Amino acid sequence: MDAVAQFFQTFPYDQLLIQTVNGIVTGMILALVASGLTLIFGIMDVVNFAHGELFMLGAYVGVIVMVGTGSFWLALFIATLTVALIGAALQVVTLRPLIGRDPLNTILVTFGISLILQNYALWQFGPTSRKINEPITSHFILFYLEYPWYRILIAALSAVIIGGFWLFLKYSKFGVWIRATTQDRVMAQAMGIPVPLVYTGVFAIGAGMAAASGVLFAPLVGVNHTMGLDWVLKAFIVVVVGGMGNLGGSIAAAIFVSLLESYASIWVNPSQAVIVSFVVLILTLLFRPTGLFVPTPK
Amino acid sequence: MSDAPPSTQPLVLIEDVHTYYGKSHILHGVSLQIGAGEVVGLLGRNGVGKSTTLKTIMGLVQPSQGRVLLNGDPITGIPAHKLALRGIGYVPEDRRIFRLLTVMENLRTGLDRRGVTEGTKRALLDKVFKYFPVLAERRNQAGGTLSGGEQQMLAIARCMMLEPKIILLDEPTEGLMPRMVSQIGAIIDALHQENVAILLVEQNVPLTLSASQRVYIMEKGAVRHQCAASAIDVNDPVIKQYLGV
Ligand SMILES: Nc1ncnc2c1ncn2[C@@H]1O[C@H](COP(=O)(O)OP(=O)(O)OP(=O)(O)O)[C@@H](O)[C@H]1O
Ligand SMILES: [Mg+2]
Repeated sequence: MDAVAQFFQTFPYDQLLIQTVNGIVTGMILALVASGLTLIFGIMDVVNFAHGELFMLGAYVGVIVMVGTGSFWLALFIATLTVALIGAALQVVTLRPLIGRDPLNTILVTFGISLILQNYALWQFGPTSRKINEPITSHFILFYLEYPWYRILIAALSAVIIGGFWLFLKYSKFGVWIRATTQDRVMAQAMGIPVPLVYTGVFAIGAGMAAASGVLFAPLVGVNHTMGLDWVLKAFIVVVVGGMGNLGGSIAAAIFVSLLESYASIWVNPSQAVIVSFVVLILTLLFRPTGLFVPTPK
Repeated sequence: MSDAPPSTQPLVLIEDVHTYYGKSHILHGVSLQIGAGEVVGLLGRNGVGKSTTLKTIMGLVQPSQGRVLLNGDPITGIPAHKLALRGIGYVPEDRRIFRLLTVMENLRTGLDRRGVTEGTKRALLDKVFKYFPVLAERRNQAGGTLSGGEQQMLAIARCMMLEPKIILLDEPTEGLMPRMVSQIGAIIDALHQENVAILLVEQNVPLTLSASQRVYIMEKGAVRHQCAASAIDVNDPVIKQYLGV
């Protein structure tokens, strides 16, 4: 009994709150990255290994625009748009011809694209990290920490983007097309929905969302050619844990996994906290391979 | 009515179509035609290739030989979504409602076409809600939660949103109770009144004979018999030969 009482007395409640905020902030960014990934998988059965590089590319375009104009918001906007267009072009040139083929083909293609983009970035920008300055530098006091408002802003902006996208899916013509095509591609075609265009559009939207997260996250870590790797790995975990192709599930899983990692880092080194994600992944695959955050399939 | 096909240019003409699934040869030279506004029945035992014929017209499977013409223009190889906008509607055998979309969203998939005014949209919706009042009641319900009969109505209503010139209607009465069956019969008549052509695949012979002007009977991937619907009845030897058990 004493031990239990002792545990609660010495429990780091301040840490708990700080890590909750941290977990939600990274969770929202991760949700933004994973939304694109899960959307692309859900509609095209394409596992997009180049998603992390689209994130990285977004950050680099952001760097370039920042250097040119000094405006973070312009950087965010232009990077999103540019990478969405690049995504559309990539889809038309490399993935559209493979529609209907073995998924292995598309895995190889996106893996190839990821290597090319990474090496292109290395060749073009070199190995040293670039910096994007955060648009707001003020802090607030969270216990003994000076917590940057910018982190809160990231979480809010990610939520706004995801929310906007959800409204788009729910109410716009193209959104209805996306959902119809995800459910039944052949019937969507028979209803006059231009399915190839929907595929390209979804890939572009996914790429744009990855790029936006890249720019938003860049001020926290710096921009280099491998920055996409960590994210894409986590995004894959989240997509599987959330139920492949399930948008709501991915968002819930992103926040869940990030919170767990943050809490774990109260007691262990943050680099070891990553293990928690893998444990969740393995448990999901073992006991509920359709995903944690989806209703039990009938 | 004569049993010769209409002499003017048919709306849809299928000439000597051969279709394969992989290596299996399913359609062995199917030829048939449907005139504008005509209701044509397509009968045959299970597995003779009726659904495959519809899929070939819709561009969902590609014929290896032969061609399909719409108003005299060859349409073989044109993707299905373009054919849908050119006036071919498809109501598949298993209905294929978008299960997670609401009734209204299911209908929207056919309404959000270029050049459809708000007025036309409302008129089309009013029309199907008049034919199928139950769809209006359930407009915000997910398609997958509808009963089988309601799903069939939704499948037909959804197709009508495209304002098709012809509807490829695959076994609309399958698994429906008699009252529903006669409702489907009524909707076919109503579409006929509106000059919409229908290629009707059915197991229900009496319904097919009463709803159609002409019928084709298929066997083993080819059309074996054609006649005016009024020329035969359910007890005709032809029916016994090709459809009896
Ligand atoms: N996707 C497919 N792949 C391979 N074979 C198929 C496929 N679809 C249909 N077949 C085969 O093609 C043949 C014709 O099928 P089809 O569905 O056209 O028949 P049907 O006349 O519509 O039969 P039913 O009255 O049972 O609906 C059948 O032998 C069927 O097994
Ligand atoms: Mg069939």
